[in-house]
Amino acid sequence: MSEFLNLLAAGLTSGAIYGIFGACLAVWFRVCNILNLAVGDFAMLGAIGTAELVQSDHVPFPAAVAADLAAVGLVAWLFDRGVLHFAFDRRPGGHGIVGVFFYTFGLSLVIEGVAQTVFGTDVHGAPAIWPGPAIAIADFHVQRAGILVIALAVASGLVLWAYLRFTVSGRAASACGESVLGSRIVGIDSALFRRRIFVATAVLAALFGVVESPLTGFTYLSGPTISLIGVVAAGFAAFRKPGRAVVAGLAIGVAEAMLGGYVSTSYNDVLLYAILFGIIILRPEVLGLSATAA
Amino acid sequence: MTEPAATARESAEAPAVTPQAVRRIRRRDPVPVATAAGVAIVGSLVLAAMNGSYLGLTITTGVGYAVVTVGMVLQLGYSRQLAFSQSVFMGVGAYGTGVLETKYNFNSAESLLAVIAIAALAAFLVGVVVTRAPGLALALATLLLPLFIYQLATFSSWLGSFSGIDGVLPFWNGPTYESALVRSGIVSVVLLGLATGVVLRVMRSGVGFQLMAMAEDERLGESIGVSLRQRRLEVFVFGSVLAAVGGAVLASAQGLVTPTVLGESAEITLLIMVFVSGRKSVIATILGAIVIEYLTTSTAFISTNLGIIEGIVLLLVLLVEPDGVAGAVDRVLGRRTDRWAGNLRSWGAARLRAGADTGGETGGGAA
Repeated sequence: MSEFLNLLAAGLTSGAIYGIFGACLAVWFRVCNILNLAVGDFAMLGAIGTAELVQSDHVPFPAAVAADLAAVGLVAWLFDRGVLHFAFDRRPGGHGIVGVFFYTFGLSLVIEGVAQTVFGTDVHGAPAIWPGPAIAIADFHVQRAGILVIALAVASGLVLWAYLRFTVSGRAASACGESVLGSRIVGIDSALFRRRIFVATAVLAALFGVVESPLTGFTYLSGPTISLIGVVAAGFAAFRKPGRAVVAGLAIGVAEAMLGGYVSTSYNDVLLYAILFGIIILRPEVLGLSATAA
Repeated sequence: MTEPAATARESAEAPAVTPQAVRRIRRRDPVPVATAAGVAIVGSLVLAAMNGSYLGLTITTGVGYAVVTVGMVLQLGYSRQLAFSQSVFMGVGAYGTGVLETKYNFNSAESLLAVIAIAALAAFLVGVVVTRAPGLALALATLLLPLFIYQLATFSSWLGSFSGIDGVLPFWNGPTYESALVRSGIVSVVLLGLATGVVLRVMRSGVGFQLMAMAEDERLGESIGVSLRQRRLEVFVFGSVLAAVGGAVLASAQGLVTPTVLGESAEITLLIMVFVSGRKSVIATILGAIVIEYLTTSTAFISTNLGIIEGIVLLLVLLVEPDGVAGAVDRVLGRRTDRWAGNLRSWGAARLRAGADTGGETGGGAA
């Protein structure tokens, strides 16, 4: 039983990581129908940037976090103003797969390249926000950072879900994703919503990177894997439901931990990806995507 | 005489258009064959001129990628099929060649044919289920494929784990390494020429128009009687087979296969090659694959800062010309030829006017 509970705790922790990135992807896709493939790179910037500021430049931890989050927000804002604005506001319509995938894919490549040049190839981890040994209840052990990760994921999922469901601003944001032209006709500034939510999810991802990095550590190459798992979690939430993306991420994390614990520690990722692949191709309706989604 | 009677007589007088005649007319399109021959001849001459140098090896490797990107033009660019499994099938081709030659003593031709058959079968089996998935679900499913196939390859000692398989034969051996490289390169460009010809033939045929209609709007495709599932499957299998042939070319050129050929980075490289050069142009993607392969392997500055350069170039291309360098060249040449045509028209009109004026004066004088 204790083994099961420990695996469950580990699975929920990694699942929370997948879930929060899935939620970030889903909320932005809902607003502008673009997949943010750079979300993992924002998390990497958050983690490595904070670690560098604290360890190399001896900046106090809270100031380092604040400076790093501000820098990530600025990068996201600049990307929106410098690229997305020209691509989508000046030349609306007809972007197809290029619009869905490749603008943020380009950003991801640039961030990774810059991070490699600036931070090198070493593994970095920001200091723990809640330092101390793992919390033990009988045979059940859970890392403090893990508790923070799960709490932040659940809270973020709930806040994003409530924002989209219960606020006028959230409904206006959803309307932009349904129809840019329609939303503009009724006076909604779709570009503003796209920019705000892009910056907000970038900062959230960076904060999550700071919270998570004591557990996993980050290199300049950590971003794409995180983004990819986030895409999978968001996919199981039809790319539009952040609350469901968190739940999907938690389920994927728990499944991964259980496969690692009870089936094979070496092949758990292979099995997990194969199972997810099987679900997508055999029961695509579980994703809730329409045939014209792309 | 009434109109229907006239129509009946005209149709009786008109030569009968038989299906054979229609087929004959359709076969007259010279572009696919000419382009295929051009690619094969120019490529062979270039490789012969390289005489087995390092640059020749780089170009042959680029030719391997080009075979894959030619298939991607049909799959991603022309049919807009959101499949990201090309690196996996490139791995099937490369590992298939390596395993058959080093463990089962197949020769190069046998292994190439076997790899094509294996890839076609595998793509058909995967495609039957994968192409059921709509739009983004297909993208999602095929994004997952490289993840677990790469891990399987690295865990498998039979496939050489992280070091891969060494000792893959060149397509056409020679007395020296250089001559073998030149001969294998020529076989590779002939394969590339064949791939180019077939892809152009499909794009310029009725099937190509059906694919174009499907890409624009699947309901439009269905309304004109296109079997969406069948066409999706055919495109998936064809693109995957070309990816496997490209993988076999890479393995043969380099003499070894490593798991990197299967991974996300290989897929990213292929996407960059297709999108930067022009996802709808076969010739542009061939040139793009070779030039990008050359730049990434032969220039220290670019290989060190590859990510930044790829990202910035990709963003610039998408912003300035979403159809890539080929689209930009088309636009520039189109403007220039339009200007030339305009100049020609005004020159012709001026000549006609001058002729008419001279004629008018002469005529007037005579009168």
